[in-house]
Amino acid sequence: MARFLLNRLGQSALLLLGVSVIGFALMHLAPGGPLALYTLNPTVTAQDIERVKHEFGLDQPVYVQYAKWAFGLLTGNWGYSFFGGRPVGIIVMERIPATLELMGSSLALALLIGVATGILAAVRRNSVFDYTTAVTAMLALSLPTFWFGLLGIYLFAQTLGWLPAGGMESTGGGDLLDRLRHLLLPMLVLAFVLVAKWSRYTRSAMIDILSQDYMRTARAKGLGPARVMLGHGLRAALVPLVVLAGLQLPELVGGALVTETVFSWPGMGLLFVNALGTRDYPVLMAILMVGALVVVVGNLIADVVVALIDPRIKPAHV
Amino acid sequence: MSGNGPMIGRRGALLSGAALLALGHARGAQAAGMPGQLILGVTQEAVNFNPLLYVNTGVETSVEFIVFDALWKLDPTGAFLPNLAAEIPTQANGGLSADGRTWTIRLRPDVKWHDGTPFTSADVIFTLDTLLNPKVVVRSRNGHEHVATYAAIDDLTVKIVLKDDFAPYMVSWQKTSVVPKHILADLPDINTAPFNTQPVGTGPFKFKSRTAGSQIEFEPYAGYHGGAPKLTSLVQKYVPDQQTLYAQFQTGEVDIYDTQGIPPLLYAKAKALPGSKIMLSASPFVEFIYFNCGKPQFSDKKVRQALYQAVDKKGWIDAVYYGVPIPTLSYLPPNHWAYNKSLKDPGFDLKKAAALLDDAGWKAADGGVRAKDGVRLAFTMSTTAGNKSREQAQQLVQQNFKKIGVEMTIKNMPASVVWGDYTVKSEFDTLMVGWDALLYPDPDYTDRIGSKLIPAKGGSGSNYVQYENPEIDELCAKGTSVVDQAERKKIYDRIQEILLEDLPFAPIFAYEVIIGVKDRVQGYQPNPYTPINSWNTNEWSVS
Repeated sequence: MARFLLNRLGQSALLLLGVSVIGFALMHLAPGGPLALYTLNPTVTAQDIERVKHEFGLDQPVYVQYAKWAFGLLTGNWGYSFFGGRPVGIIVMERIPATLELMGSSLALALLIGVATGILAAVRRNSVFDYTTAVTAMLALSLPTFWFGLLGIYLFAQTLGWLPAGGMESTGGGDLLDRLRHLLLPMLVLAFVLVAKWSRYTRSAMIDILSQDYMRTARAKGLGPARVMLGHGLRAALVPLVVLAGLQLPELVGGALVTETVFSWPGMGLLFVNALGTRDYPVLMAILMVGALVVVVGNLIADVVVALIDPRIKPAHV
Repeated sequence: MSGNGPMIGRRGALLSGAALLALGHARGAQAAGMPGQLILGVTQEAVNFNPLLYVNTGVETSVEFIVFDALWKLDPTGAFLPNLAAEIPTQANGGLSADGRTWTIRLRPDVKWHDGTPFTSADVIFTLDTLLNPKVVVRSRNGHEHVATYAAIDDLTVKIVLKDDFAPYMVSWQKTSVVPKHILADLPDINTAPFNTQPVGTGPFKFKSRTAGSQIEFEPYAGYHGGAPKLTSLVQKYVPDQQTLYAQFQTGEVDIYDTQGIPPLLYAKAKALPGSKIMLSASPFVEFIYFNCGKPQFSDKKVRQALYQAVDKKGWIDAVYYGVPIPTLSYLPPNHWAYNKSLKDPGFDLKKAAALLDDAGWKAADGGVRAKDGVRLAFTMSTTAGNKSREQAQQLVQQNFKKIGVEMTIKNMPASVVWGDYTVKSEFDTLMVGWDALLYPDPDYTDRIGSKLIPAKGGSGSNYVQYENPEIDELCAKGTSVVDQAERKKIYDRIQEILLEDLPFAPIFAYEVIIGVKDRVQGYQPNPYTPINSWNTNEWSVS
């Protein structure tokens, strides 16, 4: 296991290096840049733009800029935002709690409901329940999330007046109940889509397993349906689901771009949308690197967990 | 049907859960801020509060006005009011020399920074030092590059000598907020100073806290020299989505919907909202079609004139903007003192437009598109992608042009692309863009029309249309050297006349921002001379 881990860590470091080079290059080679915001400001002249460009070091060759950035990253200096001059590390880190709260709660809710509906749909294959969940899942996956978000705001905030229209808490801070009321709508909107995904995956994983010989054996042994399903069926179906969970882990930190924007949720998704709009390179690179790191870690965890729960995989062979 | 059970149960549970939470707060979402607290809703996030460094006109100007002061400010009639200065320098009171180049500015003796340190001439000098320091990423030098020498005469007097005639200099000091020397002078790097997100000013409110991605809170500064604020707390709340901000304004979660304004689409609906006033606030911004005169299609002014006549300006304003903006024939809004009232609208006339193109030798060629000397009258028009109103306007203009044998292709790009080198280096064919004068409300427009100010030709200004006219150069120079307003008006009347004839850019309308204010707010007064209406926050109150 230790060798396996070491091996994977080495690969991960190389991967991160690759991501940083490609990300940095693409970002700088793409047309446009952070100075457009200056052009739009009517008090700024072309002379001002040239001056700012030089001060930000944007007039240097891209490889020089990369070398400076990479050296900074390795020595713990992530750079400063072009807009506001705050240290990038702080800018990114202060957004993580909000995103964790939103994504964590909706993922947890989605897992619970999604896996349950998936199993039920698989067991009652081709029943009305199966069709209803299939159609609902299709709808959830096809309609854009901002539409659900706006619909929710229109219904529950503007028309019924039950829930606040966005934000994380009432102005001036709120108690736990206040925060829950703010969390409810964006969480449900996100969970709705995630439930759709999870129920479809669970359903197909379960259907594969239901036809396996050992399931028939379990039933033939006289075990109750719950034992058969949860003890034998779900355990086997867990393997692809754990892989899926590992792949979704980055979303926990990466946030939801659209939902966070619609609901004014001050998380990573909103930060990313803004940084992308203004081409705040230092902030974008930091988000990219944090994101890549979480992807790598998520995959690693998924591999390890799969190795632990799947009796067919021995860690030595991975 | 039993399979349906869990679904219904799940929905039912969610609904009753929501109802329970709603009951927990009897006032529901209608709850506004605490007593005396006013919440200002904006759709962009302010991230830099250093008045010399921030870039985002609007939300960051708002913070500037709340926390900082300039030497003087403009009231809604366009008159200058002394702010940090004790009086407005004039030739009569000896503040301004006869040649208009030497400024002696006397400062108020009773002003203190939010931390209690007295405000003095050293702060004004330091502000100028910072503006002219090449190591500091200031957004714009606001015309201070015309300064030759400056010095403090005593603690409360500053003397500035200009190196050339520059009448707009009055506005330079209206647009320059003074920053504290005692906090910034010893820092190694102002660009990354904590001050930029924890500002200390002399303004009506003190910065209290910022929640990233969410809001900024200010508390009243009892010692404000302009009179203590009436509010107990002022919050600038960031709600990125327009529809969501509108919903929050409706439910009372925000008191004022300002800055970018309520979308014109929602204007009629907003007017019917109970408990709210909806007002129009004149803006300095004018919407243009920019013609790149450096491209062969647009080098002849007859083509530009024909295209201007082919644009249905009224249809544009009515169909796309619900009749809200005001038509203008100049780079100034029609309510501006220097606006030339005798300008004549060539009108919307496709026949005349076609005849003009025929005259100029642009004849119909293959595919019904006109051409001359092998150049087709075909071009692209660009603006920020995703700006729905502008996209509709482009389609309207595209149809208008098609009727006179002109082919326009829409080529929109993200803001960071279209307003980068594509604009500055004059790579575009045409742009759809809204801009105001560099030192608005001063009518000086040299920066955008002077022939020495074309960045694509090595100039340092913002003449992105590459317009060159010696008469304009001469008039612009004269306009900034004369101080008398009546004399200046004559010069700018002529400039506007020439521009309407030459049309390097086609003026369409002056923006009107649709502002929503809850009835509980008092003292709020729109100001057409400032880019944002937070100019008198110490007068604001809530009932």
